[in-house]
Formats: sequence, structure tokens, C-alpha cells
Amino acid sequence: MGGTRNSGPETPVSSYDGSPVGAAAGDPIVTLFESMRPDLLRFAHWLARDRALAEDIVQEALLRAWRSRDALKDQAAARAWLLTIVRREHARLYERKRLELVALDDAMELEGMPSPPGPDSELDSLRGAILKLPLEYREPLIMQVLGGFSTAEIAQELSLSSTAVLTRLFRARNKLRTMYGLTPAPDEVDSEGAA
Amino acid sequence: MNHNEARLLIGAEPHAPPSPELSEHLAGCADCSRFQREMVTLDANIRRALEGAPVGGAASPTASVTPITSARPAQKEKPTNVWSGWALAASVAVVSVLVIWALRPSDTLAHDLVAHVEYESDSWTSKQAAPTASVTDTLAKAGIALDMSSDKVMYARTCLFRGHRVPHLVVSTSRGPVTVLVLRDEKVAHRTNFHEDGMTGVITPAPHGSIAVLALGTANVDAVAEQVQQSVRWLPPH
Repeated sequence: MGGTRNSGPETPVSSYDGSPVGAAAGDPIVTLFESMRPDLLRFAHWLARDRALAEDIVQEALLRAWRSRDALKDQAAARAWLLTIVRREHARLYERKRLELVALDDAMELEGMPSPPGPDSELDSLRGAILKLPLEYREPLIMQVLGGFSTAEIAQELSLSSTAVLTRLFRARNKLRTMYGLTPAPDEVDSEGAA
Repeated sequence: MNHNEARLLIGAEPHAPPSPELSEHLAGCADCSRFQREMVTLDANIRRALEGAPVGGAASPTASVTPITSARPAQKEKPTNVWSGWALAASVAVVSVLVIWALRPSDTLAHDLVAHVEYESDSWTSKQAAPTASVTDTLAKAGIALDMSSDKVMYARTCLFRGHRVPHLVVSTSRGPVTVLVLRDEKVAHRTNFHEDGMTGVITPAPHGSIAVLALGTANVDAVAEQVQQSVRWLPPH
């Protein structure tokens, strides 16, 4: 369980050691952001597939959020707003490096590891299968299931049509069906535009 | 609407209320109805998987047993004790496997609890008591009160766990911080102890759902669980 790596001295939300520092200490908005850190970290971890990287992404995202806090008009929407910033931060990193940002072998070890039958191994297998999904399928799935985003919101965020998002979500789950020994549905969607 | 269109919608949004067109199709198509049921089940599992850590960090039984097998070279130094050496190694291996088996995460609930607590590991670093109002509010949201000195509660937060909002507390004890989660929606038949990822925990049945207590290392969580059980008051629903 690593600590934060990018927290600069001016960072108002670098609080793995507890409390915010600097002028923002005690600021309700910092408290609000910090209360969502676990959710953000989980979200980033599924995107990045690497815990340390996820922590960096969240740290950067929280810093950006702090700098742009005036843009948050409705605190009830803070979670979705922060998740969006996290996703963009991950995308920024991903685009910069142009590669999958994880030790894939580590992530995939679960699959090759003999494990006893039972609900735990089944869930772990599913986690492994989700991690193996290409980002184009994994990202909308995580946004929908973990982030609670609607298809329209995902489409807007990913600059895709709603149909394209539906297709990606369908394909993501269709791939996961196979690990359950279920017959995948025929994928006759020839493109992401039309079924 | 044809089969492919129906399955695209079902696969994309298994839990979304079906449109009138999809409902009509499902009413007349047993295959697509079965596909929908399967997808809803799969999606529930996906949700549970995503609410945990991406990669399980638990030491595998194989890894735990490995050091025992590494004792084999010593047998070569004492050829006259080959059988006793093998017997010792085998005994240790058997005992180790039994210990691992006994301390294994007994079910997915235990595994999910460990994953959740790992994600909020910073909850254990708080050095100040959580504000009383915050503790009260967190507990009230879960419909409970706690007859416990509030200065012992170092962390109080309402968390999303398995699709339900649950109170997540960290209580200061003489042996270090202990995490308490009150799980109104998780009924268990009996007390379950578990050990995973360096954490020790216990899940105990409660009048409404269950209570989970976790701590780092091998702390005596049973005693804390007992105390929490006695301290929790289940408030009537609003």
C-alpha cells in the first residue's frame, strides 16, 4: 500500500498522512475531495491496472480539481466530476506514453495460477478477465459500472456516438461471458456505428 | 427489433429498464430472455469484481509452501536421515497447508472486505478522533448508534460496499487501529474468522445483517467484535 508520490508542498490534498496541508487545511472542499479518494483510486486502478500509477493519477487529478474547484458548481456532482478528471488524467498519461501502462505479466498471473474452485477464485478470474479487456472496452465498462455514468455521458466523455458506446459495452460483456462458459452472443455489429 | 439488436441493448445495459420495443421482443423470445437473465447475473458479478482490487494480493498457497520445500537441500547433507527429513518436511507442509486452509478467506465477503479496507488504508493513519458529529451522522445513515466513547473512533465514513452504503469506522484500541464495518445487507449464518493480505478479521452475525472487524497482523479481533456487538444499537427504521 504505497503512499503518494507526486504530492508537492503546495498540494492542498496530499493527505495520505491524514490532514490536508497549507492554506486549504480544513477547507470543506478538500474534505469533500478527500472523502472520495478511495473511490477515485479504485477507478484509476482499474483503468491503469497499476496501483502506484493509479495513486499518481489520483494525486494529479485531485490537484487539478483543486485548481479548478470554482468550476464545481454543485457539490452533489463532485464524484462524477472528479471521476471525469481522473479518467482524463489517465488518458493524458496513456496518450503520452502510447502503451499500456502496467506490468501486464503481473496482472495476468492470476490466470495461470492454479486456484481452488469456489466463489473467490471465480471473482478473481473475473477480475483477471476484466483486466485483459482492451482499454477501449474496459474503459466504458468501468465508467458505467463503477463510475455510474450513463451511456450518453460516456459517449460525451469519450467523444463517441451512443451507439458506439453501446457496442463497446456489449462487446466487453460478451468477451467476459466466455469465461463463464456461456456462448457469446453473435457479434454482428460491423462497426461502432450501426448494428 | 431483431435478436441482434435486442442482445446489443441487453449486453450494453443489462440493468437498464427495457424499452417497450425490447420488452415486446423479450416477451416472445425465450433465447433472448435467457440471454438477459445470464447478462444480469454476469453484470452483478462484474460489479462485485470491480468493487474490489484489480489484482488479488493474497499470498497463494503455493507461495506459502515454497519455503518449506526449500528445506530439501539440507537432507542431502544428512543422508542417513533422509526419511526423517522427508517426514519432517511433509509434516511441516501438511501443517502449513492446514493452517492456510484454516485461515483462508472463508468466502467472497471476507475477500471483498479485505480489498475494501486495503483501498482505504489511509483510514488507519488518522491520529485524531473523528468529529463526533461526523461519527453520529455516519452511524445514523446506517440506522445504528454506538454506545462507545466517541474519542475512540478515529475515522468514520459512509462507504459504498457491494452496492450498499455502509458505515466504515476505525476504532482506536490498545493494540492499534481496528476497522469496523456494519453490514446491514450482508447476512451471515455464523461467525467467520479469516486471514488475508496480512489482515485478520472476523464477520459475526448481527440482528440486522452482520458486523465485520478487521485489523492488521494477528490482533485479537474477536474481543473487539464482541465489544462492538454489545455497543451497537439498531435504530428503528425511519
